[in-house]
Amino acid sequence: MTNPIKYILAIAFVISFSSCEKFLEVEPRASVSDEVTIYDKGSAESALHGVYNGLADAGYYGMSFQSIGYLNGDNIQWTGSQSQIQEFINHKVNPENATISTAWVAIYRTINRANNVIAKVPEVVDPLLTETAKKQILGEAYFVRALAYFDLARTWGGVPIVTKPTKTPADNIGITRSTIEQVYNQVLADLDQAETLLPLPGNIAVGGSDRYRANRKTAFALKARYYLYRNDWTKAEEYADKIVADNGNYRLLKPFNSFFANDARGTQESVFELFYNGTTEQNTHKNQWLPQNLGGTRQWAPNNAFVALVTDPVTSGGRSTLVAKDNQNRWYGTLYYRPTPSDPSYIIRTAELYLIRAEAKAQQFDANPAKLAEAIADLNAVRDRAGLAPTSAVTKEQVLSAIENERRLEFAYEPHRWFDLVRTGRAKQVLNITEDFRLVMPIPAEQLLADRALEQTLGYK
Amino acid sequence: MKNNRHHGFSVIVFSYALVILAHLTIGSSCAFSQENRPIINSTLRGRVLDAKTQEPLIGVTVQIKGTTHASSTNNNGEFNFITGQKFPYTLVLSYIGYEKKEVVAEGSPIEIFLKEASNELKEIVVVGYGIQTRRDLIGSIAKVNPAETKNIPTGGFDAQLQGKITGVQISSNTGVPGETANIRVRGATSINADTDPLYVIDGVFINNNSLQTISTGGKASSPIADINPADIASIEVLKDASATALYGSRGANGVILITTKRGNFNQKPKISFNTTQGFARAEKLWDLASGPEHAQLVNEWHVNTGGSFATRPFRPVSEGGRGLPEEQQTYDRLGEVFRTAQLQNYDLALTGGSANTRYYIGGGYTNQESILSPIDFSRASFKVNLDQRINNNVQLSISNTFSRTLRNQARAGDGPQGGLLQAALHTPTYLSPYNEQGVLVGRAGFDNVTLLLENYDVNSVSLRYIGNLNADFVLLPGLKLRSSVGVDYNNYDESEYWNTFLLLGAQGGLATSAIGQFTTLLNEQTLSYRKSFNDKHTLNFLLGNTLQLDQLTRTSAEGRGFANNSFKVISSASSSTSSETWNKSTLASFFGKVDYNFDGKYLIDASLRADGSSRFGASNRWGYFPSVGAAWRIKQENFLQDVDFISELKLRTSYGTVGNQNGIGYFAALGLWSGSSPYQGSAGISPQQLSNPDLKWEKTTQLNLGLDLGILNDRLNFEFNLYRKYTTDGLLQLTLPGTTGFSNYWSNVAEISNRGFEFSLNSRNISKKNFTWSTSFNVSRNINKVEKLQNPLRYGSRDLIMHKEGYPLYSFWVYKQLYIDPQTGNAVYEDVNKDGKITVDDRQLHGSIWPKFFGGLTNNFTFKEFDLNVFAAFQYGNKIYNHNKFFGEGGGARDAARVIFASNLDRWQKPGDVTDVPKSDGVNVNNYRDGGSRWLEDGSFLRIRSASIGYTLPKNLTQKARVEGLRLFVTGSNLLTFTRYSGLDPESASSSAQNEQGIDLGTPPQPRTIQFGVDLTL
Repeated sequence: MTNPIKYILAIAFVISFSSCEKFLEVEPRASVSDEVTIYDKGSAESALHGVYNGLADAGYYGMSFQSIGYLNGDNIQWTGSQSQIQEFINHKVNPENATISTAWVAIYRTINRANNVIAKVPEVVDPLLTETAKKQILGEAYFVRALAYFDLARTWGGVPIVTKPTKTPADNIGITRSTIEQVYNQVLADLDQAETLLPLPGNIAVGGSDRYRANRKTAFALKARYYLYRNDWTKAEEYADKIVADNGNYRLLKPFNSFFANDARGTQESVFELFYNGTTEQNTHKNQWLPQNLGGTRQWAPNNAFVALVTDPVTSGGRSTLVAKDNQNRWYGTLYYRPTPSDPSYIIRTAELYLIRAEAKAQQFDANPAKLAEAIADLNAVRDRAGLAPTSAVTKEQVLSAIENERRLEFAYEPHRWFDLVRTGRAKQVLNITEDFRLVMPIPAEQLLADRALEQTLGYK
Repeated sequence: MKNNRHHGFSVIVFSYALVILAHLTIGSSCAFSQENRPIINSTLRGRVLDAKTQEPLIGVTVQIKGTTHASSTNNNGEFNFITGQKFPYTLVLSYIGYEKKEVVAEGSPIEIFLKEASNELKEIVVVGYGIQTRRDLIGSIAKVNPAETKNIPTGGFDAQLQGKITGVQISSNTGVPGETANIRVRGATSINADTDPLYVIDGVFINNNSLQTISTGGKASSPIADINPADIASIEVLKDASATALYGSRGANGVILITTKRGNFNQKPKISFNTTQGFARAEKLWDLASGPEHAQLVNEWHVNTGGSFATRPFRPVSEGGRGLPEEQQTYDRLGEVFRTAQLQNYDLALTGGSANTRYYIGGGYTNQESILSPIDFSRASFKVNLDQRINNNVQLSISNTFSRTLRNQARAGDGPQGGLLQAALHTPTYLSPYNEQGVLVGRAGFDNVTLLLENYDVNSVSLRYIGNLNADFVLLPGLKLRSSVGVDYNNYDESEYWNTFLLLGAQGGLATSAIGQFTTLLNEQTLSYRKSFNDKHTLNFLLGNTLQLDQLTRTSAEGRGFANNSFKVISSASSSTSSETWNKSTLASFFGKVDYNFDGKYLIDASLRADGSSRFGASNRWGYFPSVGAAWRIKQENFLQDVDFISELKLRTSYGTVGNQNGIGYFAALGLWSGSSPYQGSAGISPQQLSNPDLKWEKTTQLNLGLDLGILNDRLNFEFNLYRKYTTDGLLQLTLPGTTGFSNYWSNVAEISNRGFEFSLNSRNISKKNFTWSTSFNVSRNINKVEKLQNPLRYGSRDLIMHKEGYPLYSFWVYKQLYIDPQTGNAVYEDVNKDGKITVDDRQLHGSIWPKFFGGLTNNFTFKEFDLNVFAAFQYGNKIYNHNKFFGEGGGARDAARVIFASNLDRWQKPGDVTDVPKSDGVNVNNYRDGGSRWLEDGSFLRIRSASIGYTLPKNLTQKARVEGLRLFVTGSNLLTFTRYSGLDPESASSSAQNEQGIDLGTPPQPRTIQFGVDLTL
């Protein structure tokens, strides 16, 4: 009797011990260990998709960051009950605000993804990955990083600059805030790199040739915007010109809503927009905009002042298609509307380049009065596309003011209004802000707690 | 690497020690058989029987007094001695749960009857990997008889135990049967790992984490509800380190051992049938402002905020308004969703046994409607427990539980779309459910209640199998080996369909489907040895190992865009997505325990468990969890022998360390890149998680001091425990600075303490033949404190909950409202930093979810054939955030977007008004700001949790009908509640999100129920 038991016992124990360590090794299937990531053409390309995925995230251009740009303006009202959104409408954003925290994290997450590509792709040895392809992949990563720092700078001012990937929890911690100048210099450095590395639209090596990824022209366009923010009018004009002049690729489409309505995407209007397939990549932005009977919550809705402006045929023209009424007679925004959540996020449109060039030229009026007429022509091109008569603005000031109003309507639900008013120094007056420090967002409170090296912007302390 | 090897090595040493011990013991048996033949002076054959039932007793230790020669009885209760002793000699018989007996053997054969131990001290208690009598317990273990609570209609047995166990705080999550309850054994020890106890059913570690993925707004279905409470024989809750350390890395939150019913050997087949039929209703519903009242408040707000009277929203239609307040209708939506729910339950069981086989076969069906339409819960269960003796030394036992649980679910919790309570409660009462065209429409961003009720289609089916096979071998007298294989398998299939009448399906319909499968496979060996010598010493050894594998997989799909509402399967959707998750973890354990009992006076024990988990970092894969305990039965000392009124006096203490790993990610320690970052439909990869090779167990060290006192032959029993738990290396998803590109990573940084006391009293007040009355009372207190936490953590809607160093977990973070200024009507808050402004810096921690004390009181009476049981549970000193009321007291600001509660009508209106509801206006933003302490309420309550009255038909009557027993009864639950809480139910303020407790939002109350029942035994 005892013998078989002895065997059972011995076998059971021995089996369990000898295989114990092996038994305890379990590898996931949905993820891979971070030691084998970017090592060949395929993984380099998919890591780059990961970078764009970061850009398209709901925390970044998928919603939160965008909303900072327009909720902070004067077009939108909040119909929900949570006060953190109302803080933007009231222009009194607290460091505890959840949206700024989400956006901060999402932007730096995108930067870390780009940093991984920038650090690892040059090391990849794979005959299939040609030098041209490598350059393009790197160029796109530099472009996205430039955009990310640009967005950080215009939202928060000086922020920590991180250019190396994070490998351990100790990396990229304790970095103090750079000045806004240093951050803008980083943007420019990355844009210069991107410009050198990226191919022109006709010479794409990897990925399709389209408007959903960056090429050299996209870098030009962002440079134009960059110089506009830096008040470098000649450079702004120079780079805006590179797009506006390329009429074969970039055009103002008529009518106004043809770049978004009727399920349009990737039109010639777009210099750069983010793609969402609606299933594995969802732009959930519409949930905030659509009324309940269309499957949304309409927590963000056009306010009365904006509705008045945008429905006025004299000021708005075809842009009245940005609003509609729901079954309870309430106005709602129509830019993000597709039943499957596949609305693109628009980052740079041709209209913006026209308006950048218009503004840059108008600003050069003092040195070169002839530019004012050219500015008016650019402005009128945008107005004409909206179905409006030419502007009545005559003086430099009138033209600049007309451009400001045009941008308010043209980019109503895109992240411009707030940044434009801050950039031109008009925010305090237009939005009734009394305190200077409120012109940049506070560093999220959680970030200050997580990293003692970060300092809160003066005024928010 | 080196460190790893070292750990591996110690495990190997430990395991070899086990093997060597096994060999030694087996070896010694071989040596025994080769011994020289001794002189035989007598041969004694005997049989041991139960004095009452006359059934043979198996495994009784029979020892010849004054020698080491001992034997134990076989399956027929027989033993024999071939010995050098001459008749007469004295036999000492000991058997767990029976009185010890000495018998003089004068010749062979002999028949001996043992009497069952009657008083509570000799009650058998199931402990980790064994059983003990209460008398010999060192650890703190509570035993519950589920018969008393099994008729409380909650679905799961866990919620039924509320108020029954000292130190165990139980809050039912909702009034929806079959949803999770919150169970805290001696407080909470973790922030990001689980705080639920470990559940073990007949030796199988079962899953208690909900597999639900459908959002029901902070509520979740409970896997515990898959188990039919009628199949449970006893429930033991292990609380201190001496009791839980054998469960090592999973014992930190306490262990709940469930033993299911089994048959008896040599028992005639017995059929028992039980049914209850009843109904449930809400004790009360919310008191809402009527349409005219709502309108009036909105107008008042408008004017007070600076709007002109002429443009007030509720002005005559002719002036472009919505009509005057008094012209408004009041529409009742609550009445539409709340109903009188039907409850029915049937249990049928067959038990019995032959000489070598015993069985329990149980079938059950329960169907419980929620008081909230259309939710219901039904469960069909089938249980087969079989034990077969192969021979005197080998027994096989098999336990099987099958169940199928169907749930018709609805989102009762948070979330605007599809939210049943939000649609019914939060929609303003003046708004008609119809639009101008006479079509039903949703209002204020919520669904239309009627449409919701007609079109709700959210269902889940849970299939569960829990089973194990044990083989027990008696290798030598006292030496037993048990080998077992266990399985817990759960298939959870859920689906939703939202058609175009509902907000979620507004654009062409939305369907989701998910199938989750959770499997635990378990293999366990234990070797136990019991040795008594010199009549005074008893030693028990236990050694064992366990291998456990958990796997959780889920496949889900979602479809949008259906041709019309008749098409509901995802394959007919115009756009669909699918996804799959796969998780697996393994755990290898070795454990051992020794306990020693000297003369029934001094008891000590020590145990150690080593656990290796795949979830942890390579350098900390193994954890070691030791405990020691001691008890002194002072009553057994000479100086107390003559003190008759004291029947028991025992001091107990234990100290040890247990761990916690549940609830953290399956691959929490690994550095990972995810493959799910696509762009333009092409696969994308991205960093997902930073590695932490040092990640390890959360460790809880616990000290327990206990005192047991029995008076007047145990008519009165007191138990008192003092404990202190301290958790270090607390598992926390530490926030990383955003600059790293990650939001957090798993680390061991938090420290949390729990300390408290537990007191219980059991009293047999009267025990006459025709009248008995007994009382049990228990009260406990737990003080929870976050000892170390770098940064405060905020949780819940509007950051209402905060964990902060120096404060209890789940503290409320609020603006403290001091009073309403009688002159201005403005709310005055405490200006903490005295800067003259109320800003977020003035939010403070103000109370927590923890009661100052809680407990229960049970009274049982019998009078002739009648029995009466009344059970009350209570809790004192905890806070609840009445978030429903926050929404309902907007002062008119939210106008058509949200309901107004009647309580808002008590607002300040003119100078001199004394009230705690401020003036309706938006000028002073503080008056109705979220996070105000006005909605933080006292959650104390005393509740008649259950009461039942029964009548057993006299035997002489029933026996004529060949019925062994027939009892008729009526039972009620939640019959009366005494509380100052202004919400519906002071208990329904917990969430399935671990860190969002204490917020009452969209929670259906627990209903008041009445059930009629029959217990029939044939």
